Amino acid sequence: MSEAADGRHHVASFLMRESLVDKDVLRSTETPVVRMLPSAHVVKVGGRSILDAGRGVVYPLVEVLGKLLGEHKLIIGTGGGARTRHVFSVGLDLGMPTGVLAQLAAADALGNAHILGTLLAPYGVVAIPPEMFGHLLPLFVHAVPGVIFNGVPPYSLWEHPPGVGRIPPHRTDAGCFLLAECFGCSTLTLVKDVDGLYERDPKLEPNAAFIREIGAAELERRNLPTLPFDRVLLKLLANARLLRRFQIVNGHRPELLAAALNGEHAGTIVHA
Amino acid sequence: MISGSLTDEQLMEQTARTRPVRLLPEANVVKVGGQSFIDRGRAAVFPLIDEIVANLDRHKMIVGTGAGTRARHAYSVGLDLGMPTGVLSVLGTFVSMQNARMLHYLLAKHGIPFIEPAQFAQLPLYLSERRAVVFFGMPPYTFWQQNPAVGRIPPHRTDTGAFLVSEVFAARSMIFVKDEDGLYTADPKKDRNARFIPRATVSEIEAMDLDDVVVERAVLELLKNAEHRRSIQVINGLKPGMLTRALNGEHVGTVITADDAS
Repeated sequence: MSEAADGRHHVASFLMRESLVDKDVLRSTETPVVRMLPSAHVVKVGGRSILDAGRGVVYPLVEVLGKLLGEHKLIIGTGGGARTRHVFSVGLDLGMPTGVLAQLAAADALGNAHILGTLLAPYGVVAIPPEMFGHLLPLFVHAVPGVIFNGVPPYSLWEHPPGVGRIPPHRTDAGCFLLAECFGCSTLTLVKDVDGLYERDPKLEPNAAFIREIGAAELERRNLPTLPFDRVLLKLLANARLLRRFQIVNGHRPELLAAALNGEHAGTIVHA
Repeated sequence: MISGSLTDEQLMEQTARTRPVRLLPEANVVKVGGQSFIDRGRAAVFPLIDEIVANLDRHKMIVGTGAGTRARHAYSVGLDLGMPTGVLSVLGTFVSMQNARMLHYLLAKHGIPFIEPAQFAQLPLYLSERRAVVFFGMPPYTFWQQNPAVGRIPPHRTDTGAFLVSEVFAARSMIFVKDEDGLYTADPKKDRNARFIPRATVSEIEAMDLDDVVVERAVLELLKNAEHRRSIQVINGLKPGMLTRALNGEHVGTVITADDAS
C-alpha cells in the first residue's frame, strides 16, 4: 500500500489513481474473457407464451426437455407471464415506480420456475433460489443435468427507468441473456409461441413477413412496432463478448428446441 | 396490459399515465466516494461523519459508499486473469461493502444500521427511527451486470447504484460527495488548466465530449429517463460545511440536470 502525495491510500495496480470514467483508461481494459460454462445451454421458457398456455403446450415441451437433459447441460429460465402483467397493471395504478415493479415481477417468474421444476424433477432438474443461483451455478451444472431459475435479473429496486413508460426494461429474456453472456454459455434459445421474428406481430397480421436471421443493429434500425423478446436485448447483444447470437424457436413445436440446441437454424437467429 | 406486448411503444406510453407515488420524499441520498474520499482515511472521513451526525436532526439520509482503490486492484487482477464483467461486478460489490461497513461502525453509536439490498424493506423504519442508514453503493447486479461498450469495467457502479436508490424512492436530493468541487473540463488532478463547471445539463456535458467526467457516465444516461430524479449535485466533501449546505438545498458544487428539468 502506498500513501500518495494526493492524500489517498492506494493499492498498487494499473488502475491506481485512475478515473474509471476516463475513455483511455477504459480502452486499456479490453482483454480476453474466460468462459466459465462453455458447454451449458441457456433456455428461456416463456411465461405467457408457454407456461400460461397449459398442459397441451407444456407437457410436450417438458418431454423434449427431458430428452435433451440426457445430452446437454441445460440452464432453464422462466418468464412471469400473465401474473406479471397483472401485478404491473395493479402496481402502475397504485403509482409504483419501475424499481418496485421489477421487484414484484421476480415472484411470478419464480412461481413458474417452481412449476417447471416440479415437472422436470423426474429428470433430476432442480429449481434454485435466486439468492444462491449465480454463485453456485458451476457446481449445479456439474452435479445435475440441468437447473431452473427465474429468468429475472436481480435488478429489483435498482432497475433502470425506461425511456418510455414505467415497465421494467430488463425482464426475463434479458436475465437469461446476461447470465449466458457472463458464464460464456454455448447458446441462448428463447422458447416462445411464434416461429420467430416477423415484420409485424403475426398474431395480429397473419401475412406478416418472417425474418429468418438478422443483425441487432439492423433490427434496431427497422424499429419494428413489437418484438417477441425484450427490446433491451438488442443493446445487450451489441456489447456482448461471448454470446454473439440467440435464437427464437416455437415451443408449440418442441422438436425445434432440440434442433436449435444441436446447432441447427430452427427459428429466427438474431446476431450481434 | 395482460394481452398486449411489453415491447409495444404505444402500450408502454400508456403505462406512465398514472401519477407515480413518491415513496420517501424527505430522504436525501448521499453517496460517499471510495477512491476520492474513504481511501483518504481519517483525515477526510471523520469530519464528514461529524457533519452527517450534526445533520441528523434536520435531514434524513440514505448514505451509500463507493469502492475505490481496492476495487481498482481487484479489477486489475481480474482483467489480467480474464474475468468477465459480471465477476468484476461481484468484486466491486465486496469492496463497496467493506467501505459501507466501516462508515456504519463509525456511525454505530448513533444507532444507524447498515443494510444490504435484501434489507431495503426495513429502510423506511430505520429512517423514521434513526434518520439515516448506510448501504453499499454497488447495484446488486452481480453476474447480471451489463458489459460496457468499451473495455471490461462494470459500467454500473456505485454512483449508479446510489442514483437509482434516489430515483426509485423519489428522494429529496442526490448528493455525490467527492474530493473535487464538482465537474471540470478535464481531471483537475491531472490538468491544472481544467475549468470548473458549476451547472450543466446532460446534453451540454455530452456535447463537451469530455474524456473524463466526475460521475459515472451511466448516471448521465439514466438521468435522461428518470421520472423523479431530475438533478444531482456533486460536492467537495473535504471542505467543511459543504454537505450541510447541499442538504439545505444550496448550490455549492456542480449541479447536473436532465435537459427538461427546470
